[in-house]
Amino acid sequence: MNAEPGPERKRLRQVPPGRHPMLHRIFRADPLTVREALGYLRERFDGSAAEDVIAKVELALAEVLNNICEHGCQRDAERLGGRVHTPLIHLCVARHTGGIACAITDDGQPLPPACLDPKTLPYILPDPPDEDIIAMLPEGGFGWYMIQDLTASLSYFREGRRNFLAFIVPVTEPLIHESALAGEG
Amino acid sequence: MQLTLVPERDRLTIHVDEKRLDAAIATAFKDQVRSLIDNGGPTVTLDLGGVEFMDSSGLGAVIAIFKAMPEGRKLELTGLTPNVERVFQLTRMDTVLTIRRPAQASPRDQARGAC
Repeated sequence: MNAEPGPERKRLRQVPPGRHPMLHRIFRADPLTVREALGYLRERFDGSAAEDVIAKVELALAEVLNNICEHGCQRDAERLGGRVHTPLIHLCVARHTGGIACAITDDGQPLPPACLDPKTLPYILPDPPDEDIIAMLPEGGFGWYMIQDLTASLSYFREGRRNFLAFIVPVTEPLIHESALAGEG
Repeated sequence: MQLTLVPERDRLTIHVDEKRLDAAIATAFKDQVRSLIDNGGPTVTLDLGGVEFMDSSGLGAVIAIFKAMPEGRKLELTGLTPNVERVFQLTRMDTVLTIRRPAQASPRDQARGAC
């Protein structure tokens, strides 16, 4: 459970009856602002789809946003006088009939195209199991594998100075008002 | 970083009292647990029962802790909540790392965060 917001804040963030939640946020790429944005996602979207669907959205977004924090910073001598530029992220999430759609843009380093290639796990499990497998395990390289596993319709393009990444996390249950209408009939 | 230590005769249990094991705290978490393991018994249990969310940075920190275990000492994980379990399953780390599950009642019978 996330920390309970104050009553006024909660009222403002509540999704009106019969509407579907959506979210738009602009923030600097930093692990703490990412954490805060994901808390906001939970406030807006909890209850709008099955818990495991929202959890997958949260995890996929965490991986994408962490990557921008870790790899997106750039040094552009001409533009910034040699200072490091921390990317500014725009995050948009909306509930649609078929799933929860996410769009993330940032003005950081271009995403290497290989990130979107089909991924395998960054290690191969030996058969039979090796006693020393622990020592050989990688401590990273799981992010894009997980993003690809959790999402569908993953797409990317670069325009000007911005990266645009979009995906959906599919849902199988109907939208709230559709199920309510079905109940009335 | 909130950790609670429960030393017993032959084991050390470390409860992770953080709701999120994410990029914001992964490095501090790894460093702190590794320093605590130095003065424990032969078996160390890392109880993740309070962790509601973990990303690949948190997973990387857990793997690093496994790799840093001194020769002859064991590390096991316990108390995996559904969202944490998902990350271990997706990456197939559940087949490699030692995860102790409650003997009675299958995970789906248990309320989230119980025990």
